[in-house]
Amino acid sequence: MGALDLLQGTLDLLILKTLSWGPMHGYSVARLIRERSDGAFLIEEGALYPALHRLERQGWIESDWGLSENNRKAKFYQLTARGRAQLRAEVATWQRYTKAVAGVLEPA
Amino acid sequence: MRRIPGIRRVFRHERGRVERDVDVELQFHIDARTDDLVRLGLGRDEARRAALAEFGDVKRYETETMRIDRGYARTTRIKELLWSVWFDFAYALRGLRRSPGFAAAAVFTLALGIGANTAVWTILDALMRQPLPIDRPNELHAVRRTDQPNEDYLNSFQRFQRLQAVMPDPQQLAAMSAFGRMYATTGDQPEPVLAQLVSGNWFRTLRVGASAGRLIDLDDDRVLDAGAVTVLSDAYWSRRFGRDPRIVGTTIRVNGIPLRVIGVGQPGFQGLTVGSSVDLWVPLSMQHALRYIGNYSAHNADTEKAWAPQDGIQWLILVARVQEASAARIAGALDRQVRGDLEQQLATADSVDRAYQLREHVTLQPIPRGVSPLREQFKDPLRVLMASVGLVLLIACGNLAGLLLARSSARSHEVAVRISLGARRGRLVRQVLTESLTIALLGGALGVVVARWGTAMLLRVASSGARPIPLDVSNDVRVIGFALLVSVGTGLLVGAFPAMRVSRYGLYDAFRGAGRVMGGRSSHRLPLGRLLVMSQIALSLVLVVTAGVFVRTLRNLLVIDPGYEREHVVVARLDIRAAGYDSAALPALYERLLGAAAAIPGVRSASLSLNSLAGGGTRTSGFVVPGRTLPPGESSTAQENYVTPDYFSTIGMTMVAGRGFTRADGVGAPKVAIVSESMARHFFGTDRVVGARFGYDAPPDLEIVGVVKDARVNALREAAPRLVLRPLAQGPREFVTSLEVRVAGPLEPVTAALRSAIHQVDPMLPLRDITPLSDLLERGLTSERLVARLAGSFGVLALLLAAIGLYGVMGYSVSRRTNEMGVRLALGASPGGVRLLVLRESLMTSAAGVVLGLALLLPVQGVTGRLVYGVSPRDPVTVALGTALMLAVTAVAAFVPAWRASRIDPVDAIRSA
Repeated sequence: MGALDLLQGTLDLLILKTLSWGPMHGYSVARLIRERSDGAFLIEEGALYPALHRLERQGWIESDWGLSENNRKAKFYQLTARGRAQLRAEVATWQRYTKAVAGVLEPA
Repeated sequence: MRRIPGIRRVFRHERGRVERDVDVELQFHIDARTDDLVRLGLGRDEARRAALAEFGDVKRYETETMRIDRGYARTTRIKELLWSVWFDFAYALRGLRRSPGFAAAAVFTLALGIGANTAVWTILDALMRQPLPIDRPNELHAVRRTDQPNEDYLNSFQRFQRLQAVMPDPQQLAAMSAFGRMYATTGDQPEPVLAQLVSGNWFRTLRVGASAGRLIDLDDDRVLDAGAVTVLSDAYWSRRFGRDPRIVGTTIRVNGIPLRVIGVGQPGFQGLTVGSSVDLWVPLSMQHALRYIGNYSAHNADTEKAWAPQDGIQWLILVARVQEASAARIAGALDRQVRGDLEQQLATADSVDRAYQLREHVTLQPIPRGVSPLREQFKDPLRVLMASVGLVLLIACGNLAGLLLARSSARSHEVAVRISLGARRGRLVRQVLTESLTIALLGGALGVVVARWGTAMLLRVASSGARPIPLDVSNDVRVIGFALLVSVGTGLLVGAFPAMRVSRYGLYDAFRGAGRVMGGRSSHRLPLGRLLVMSQIALSLVLVVTAGVFVRTLRNLLVIDPGYEREHVVVARLDIRAAGYDSAALPALYERLLGAAAAIPGVRSASLSLNSLAGGGTRTSGFVVPGRTLPPGESSTAQENYVTPDYFSTIGMTMVAGRGFTRADGVGAPKVAIVSESMARHFFGTDRVVGARFGYDAPPDLEIVGVVKDARVNALREAAPRLVLRPLAQGPREFVTSLEVRVAGPLEPVTAALRSAIHQVDPMLPLRDITPLSDLLERGLTSERLVARLAGSFGVLALLLAAIGLYGVMGYSVSRRTNEMGVRLALGASPGGVRLLVLRESLMTSAAGVVLGLALLLPVQGVTGRLVYGVSPRDPVTVALGTALMLAVTAVAAFVPAWRASRIDPVDAIRSA
């Protein structure tokens, strides 16, 4: 099976979901998305960063400088309360969406 | 100087920070991925290549991320700044609400100060800087003489046409007459209106629009005595016709001639003369039909015939619309034409005269702001008033600064606490400044309202007539801008002193001042406050002395002996020419007028004259004395007037030699004249001229029968002119403009009776006004009166403000030194001694202020020199009086705190410490 193009807005959802497990730096976010999706998405890791900064500007996540596992300076992100609410709303929308699509595609 | 943290805050997201952060973040990602891949067994180089490939275009993502961050940083910065400004503002408002008395007093003081400044500035601005409300005013030029670039240069209609011919486009050059008073009959009585005759292309050249109907155009001004149309000014249309559009197309009678109203000029356009408003415009071709007579000069001409065909009558002011680039070239062409004209006219003149006349050169003078005699009249007075009112505001600022200073030291405990809690000094400074700015802006907002009222009041007071000076002062943007500027300046100035104090605060000072320990010298004596009061006293002294000089100027002018009696005389100004009388009917009319006036109870005598006293109209003629040539450069002219025999006794002119006129000096009798002393001295070199002969031209046909004392017939401020008086009976074609009556008893009943008497002689006789002579003379002193009155009130205000300032500072000082005074009293100082101590301190301050003020007077007096009369701008008496007044008032102001200091109860004072 080939790699999938990521739908618009889906990356934001994936980032929020990933961050819901706890604060982490951008590289961890990338790793986790890659592992959990089995590398199914055709996505350049660089695209993560504009998305992260945009989400921060929206007030859904916030960032702070910290030290990584191997003691290097890294920027850590975490969900804000508003981000958590946003995640819930987006997950609900996503589920309704996939259910509707599935309903149409399922053989009757 | 320390950087103000408010500003540093703006730069916290300094340049490069965003870039560096993004760079570090992305670099970390690639490095971490490389490390992971190495751990999985790849070679380092290979791992790095793979990491980069997975990452994608680093440059692109970096740029995109940075762009997002930069936008974010910008909005955060602005938000933070607005937030902190709002916080300071709210804090200031809270503080003011806690002391409403202080707030109200401060805001009110500044409202008056800023309002007064804005009012004076509005008028100055409208008069000096406002461009004409026409399209591209910078292209408008007046044809003027190079040696008299600010005076009207008059031309004949013939020359106007010759000059039009040398223009690239003849329609670029237009002509207008001086204003003429005419009488419009729109109801049952003729009313005076200000009319101006204009060439058919005048409105076109100016590029003015119409409010209604159309404007005068070329076809209206083609044929002599035809073109009976008129354009009203928007102001006149509003005032007289309530902006009724139906007026267009109707006919009104002007000087008895029916004129069709064809339109109304655009709003705000009142002609080219700023500060006068023309009521209606009429084509030049109507000059003769309307019997227009305005400012003119005539040579070899008959002014009773139509003026347009006569090259000898100069009466037109020429304006041209030319672009700046071609102005010099066109001016050159006009000058060549004028000089060609002159050469031709002077072909027969002698060489001296020729050389004299040929000095004339013309040029194009830009007049984007129009022309204005008012500008010349009020320029200096308004500047002086602007300076005075500015100083008053400065002094008021001083008081406010003093109050804020006292407030800030009263709050020193709060400040100390905040500093110790880590508040940055700059933040405190900003808060102090925000407080003063808040007060100033509130004051400024209220000040705009005050200014609106003040401007209207000034225009009314400055006007010599019944109506306020028509000046367009409605430029709200500029006015509000000015008020805003002054408010901000005031706020910063007022706040500077307490801000300086806060910024110098050490923690130790703050707590020491806040505790009730006996303070050192600096904490209770407010050295800054002293300095403030000293400067206030200095500035007030300047204002008080200047005002004194102006008041004396006005008084000197009011008590001047004009050479006739100004009391007991009433003058009726009329316009017989406009009524359309034939000159043959004049002698009979004059007899009836004199008879009717003399018959009024209370009237002792009555007379008629060609030009009224202090009336503005004068006739100047050239005279020749046989056998005498005046030195070159000396004028050979004298002012001429025609009067009836009782003129001298009616206005109380003094004969110094010879006789007055009698009824025998009639048309057939030998021609006689009465001259003034200065005329005799100028033309004859002696006062003994009775019996001597002179004339207008070569045959000296006038015999001098009497000499009168010099008299200021034109204006109190104007030196007595050389006068030649002729009997009216010997100038039977002269239209008089003035009727004088001498009154025994009260003037009011006679004024009313005179009106109805004239009305009975001819109900359609245009009557301009009936005024006591003293009022007529004082109208000429409007600007002096305005300056004296306003400068006087500013002086008093300044004095009061300075006194309050001193009182405030001394009072504060005494209250802070209560325990010191208590100790002094307890240790045996007498109450009188303590009183003296305080008085001495305040007197030292005011004496220093007075010395500073006297020094400041020196340059100021140079400026006021041109406006004074009969008194030196450094008049020692005024200076001494002003100084004494200043010291006395400050002594009174200091006495209350001194008295309070001496009444301190030592036990209370020491215990409370």
